Amino acid sequence: MSKISLLAVFIVSIITLECSQASVGGYFSENDAKKFTDILNNGLKQQEDVTNYYHAARGLSLLKKPIDVALSKNACSFLQKSFKEGTPEATFKVLNAWILLKCGGKLHNEAQVKNIKAVLEDKASSTESVRYALEVLATIGESVPNAGKIAKNIQDKLREDDSLPSLGHALHAGVLLGNEGKFVADRIQEIVVQADEIDGKLLQWEGGLTTTSLIITGLMRNSAAGQHLNQKQVDKLANYLLSRKTVPSPKGVWALLEAAEALNSYALFPVCITIDGEPFVTAEKPDLKIRVSNLFGGAVRSKTSVTPVVAQSATRISDDVVVLSKQSLNPGTTQTEFILPLKLTPGHYRIQLTAGSNTQSVESRVLGPIAVQSLEIGLMDADGSSAPKLNKLQHPQKLTSILQGDSSQHLVVKFTLSRSVHQAFIRLSSQNKEIIFVGEEEAGKLYKVEINLGNELSQSGDFDIELILGDSLATNSIRWNLGVISVSLPSASLSAKTARGPKPEINHLFRVADKRPAEVVSLLFTALTLSPILLLLILWARIGVNMGNFSVLAVPFHLGFGGILALFTLFWLKLNMFTTCAWLIPIGGFTLFFGHKLLSSIASGKKPEKADK
Amino acid sequence: MAQISTVISRFYNDYSVKTPKKLKLIDAYLTYILITGVVQFIYCCLVGTFPFNSFLSGFISCVSCFVLGVCLRLQVNPENKHQFAGISPERGFADFIFAHVVLHLVVMNFIG
Repeated sequence: MSKISLLAVFIVSIITLECSQASVGGYFSENDAKKFTDILNNGLKQQEDVTNYYHAARGLSLLKKPIDVALSKNACSFLQKSFKEGTPEATFKVLNAWILLKCGGKLHNEAQVKNIKAVLEDKASSTESVRYALEVLATIGESVPNAGKIAKNIQDKLREDDSLPSLGHALHAGVLLGNEGKFVADRIQEIVVQADEIDGKLLQWEGGLTTTSLIITGLMRNSAAGQHLNQKQVDKLANYLLSRKTVPSPKGVWALLEAAEALNSYALFPVCITIDGEPFVTAEKPDLKIRVSNLFGGAVRSKTSVTPVVAQSATRISDDVVVLSKQSLNPGTTQTEFILPLKLTPGHYRIQLTAGSNTQSVESRVLGPIAVQSLEIGLMDADGSSAPKLNKLQHPQKLTSILQGDSSQHLVVKFTLSRSVHQAFIRLSSQNKEIIFVGEEEAGKLYKVEINLGNELSQSGDFDIELILGDSLATNSIRWNLGVISVSLPSASLSAKTARGPKPEINHLFRVADKRPAEVVSLLFTALTLSPILLLLILWARIGVNMGNFSVLAVPFHLGFGGILALFTLFWLKLNMFTTCAWLIPIGGFTLFFGHKLLSSIASGKKPEKADK
Repeated sequence: MAQISTVISRFYNDYSVKTPKKLKLIDAYLTYILITGVVQFIYCCLVGTFPFNSFLSGFISCVSCFVLGVCLRLQVNPENKHQFAGISPERGFADFIFAHVVLHLVVMNFIG
C-alpha cells in the first residue's frame, strides 16, 4: 500500500515538474534593460557598420528608451554620407534607422527604388533579398509590383534552399505579399517541428539567436501560426530568449528584443511568475512579493488571463511536508505585484504558484531568530572523578570570575537553542591565537562542547571564550563572549614540543643472559660428560687394543689429525672461520697424505690375511 | 627371570666369542658416544638448555658421531662384505676420519 502511494507521489511530482518547467521563471528586469541600453547606445556611437544604427535605434525604441539627441545627430550625418546602393537588407536598415532616429527628410532616390524593384524581379534573388526589398517598399510606401510573380519566385527559391534562415525570411515576405503570400502558411508546421528542445525547458532553432529571432518574428506576423504553436512552446521560446540575456552585440540585443516583443504581443503571450525582491521573508516582514508580468516585467495585457493568482501549495523542502494549500494572493501596490504572506516556521519552502492557467514553482526561505534558551559552562575533571561545576548564564551575561583550568580538566559548554543551527562553535582566543571547536548536537537542540585542555591547548594563558551561532535561516547570528578561562599547563609539555635538534641516543639493549646454574652443577656435569672417555679406555683395554700395527708411518698421520683437532679447539676459543680454513688446508693436506699412505700400507699388508679368511 | 639372565649371558658369550675385536673396539666407542649424549640430555632436562647452541652442538655432535660410528661398523663388519664390495675397512676408516673433520668444523663453529 505504502509502495503504491509512494509511486503515486512520485508520478505526481514528475507531472508537476513537467508543468512547472514549461512556465517562464524570469523576465527582462530593469537591470537587463539598462545593460541593453548601454550596449545599444554604444552601437549608435560606432561608425563602421551602417546596419548597426538600425539595430541600436530599433532596440532602443523597443525598450521605449529615448535616443540621445547628439548621438542621433551624428548617426544621421553618417547615414547620409555612407548611404549608397547596397544590399536590400542594408537599404532597409539604413532607411528605417533614418526614420527611427527622426533625421527628417528623404534619404532614398529613384535609382535605389529601381534597383530594389530589379531585385524583386530577379529570379536568382535569395528569399532574404526579396524579403528586405519588400520591406523597403513597405517603408517608403510604394506598392508591390506583380505580387503573384514574386510569390512564385519565392516558392521556387524555397525548393532550392529550404534552410531555416531562408524559410524565416520567406515567412516575413509572405506577410508583406498579402493574399499572394498565403503559401507560407503551409510551411509553418514544418518550421515549428524543426525547433530543438533543450532539457525540456528551452526551445530554439538551429542557428542561434539570430535565426531563432528571425523565425519567431516571422511566425508571430503570420496569423496562421496560432494553429501550430501552443502556450507551452511559446513559454519555452521565452525561456530561451531569457537564457540569452547576456548577448553582447547591438545586433544580438536587437534580435533578442525583437523576438521578445513579438512573443509579448502574440495572442498566446508568455506570463512570467517570479519572486519580486528578496527571496526570503522574516517574521517581521512575512510578505513574499510575487511578480506576475509579461516578458518585459510590465503588466500583463489581459488581466483576466492571469487571475486568480493562487499559491497552490507550499512544501517544506527538508521533509516534504505541505504547509499551505490553495491560498489566494492579495494584489500588491502595483499591477504586477501580488503578496503571499508566509507565516511559517523557519525553513526552505517550495511554492507552487498559478496565475490563471500559468504555473510556476518558486523557492523561498523563511528566516527566523535563534535564541539561546540556556547555557552552562564549567570545568570537569578529565577522569570524571568529581562532579563538574557548571555555571548558568543568560544571553548577554559574562562569567563573573575567571575559570582556572589545568591540563587534567575539560572545559564543558552545554547550551540549548530554540532550534537547530548549521553552525555552532566555541572559540578560544588570546591575542593572536585562536582555536575553534565545533559544537555537536547531542539531542534535539541541545549542544555540547567538551574541550580537553591538556590535549587541545599548547600554551598556558588567558583565553576568551566565545560562542558563535549562525544559520542560513537565522535573522540574528550570535557572537557571545562568555568570559575568560585561565589555563595553566605543565611546562614540560612545552619542552617536549621542541621539534628540532638531535634525538636522544638509543642504546642497544642486549638480551639479558638467562640464569646460569650453580658452578658446582656445571662442573659436575662437565665431569660426567667427560667420564665416558674413561669408560672407553677401560673397555678398549679390556677388549685389548692391538697396537701392533702402530708403525713409524702412523706417527705423522696421528700428529696431523691431532693438529686438526687442536686447530678446532683454537677455532672454538679464538680463531675465526677464515683463519681456521686457511690453516685447515695445509694440515688437512698433510694428514690426508700420510693417512693415505698409512692406510694403503695396512691394506696391502692385510690383503693376504683377508684372502685366507 | 632366570631365562632372561640366561639369554643375556648367552648373548654376551656369543658376542665376546664371535664378534671380531675390531668391531668390539667400535662398539666400545659407540657406547662411549651414547653415554656422553645421554649425560648431556639429562643435563638439559635437569638444568635447562640455556646456551642452546652449545647444547645443540654437543648433543648433535654425539648423534652424528654415533651415526658415523655405526656406518663405520657396517662397512668394517665382514658379514656385510658383499654389500660393500670394493670398499676396504681402511677406506671406510678414511671416510670416517674425513667426515669427522668436516663435522667438527661445523660443531666448533656452532658451539659459540
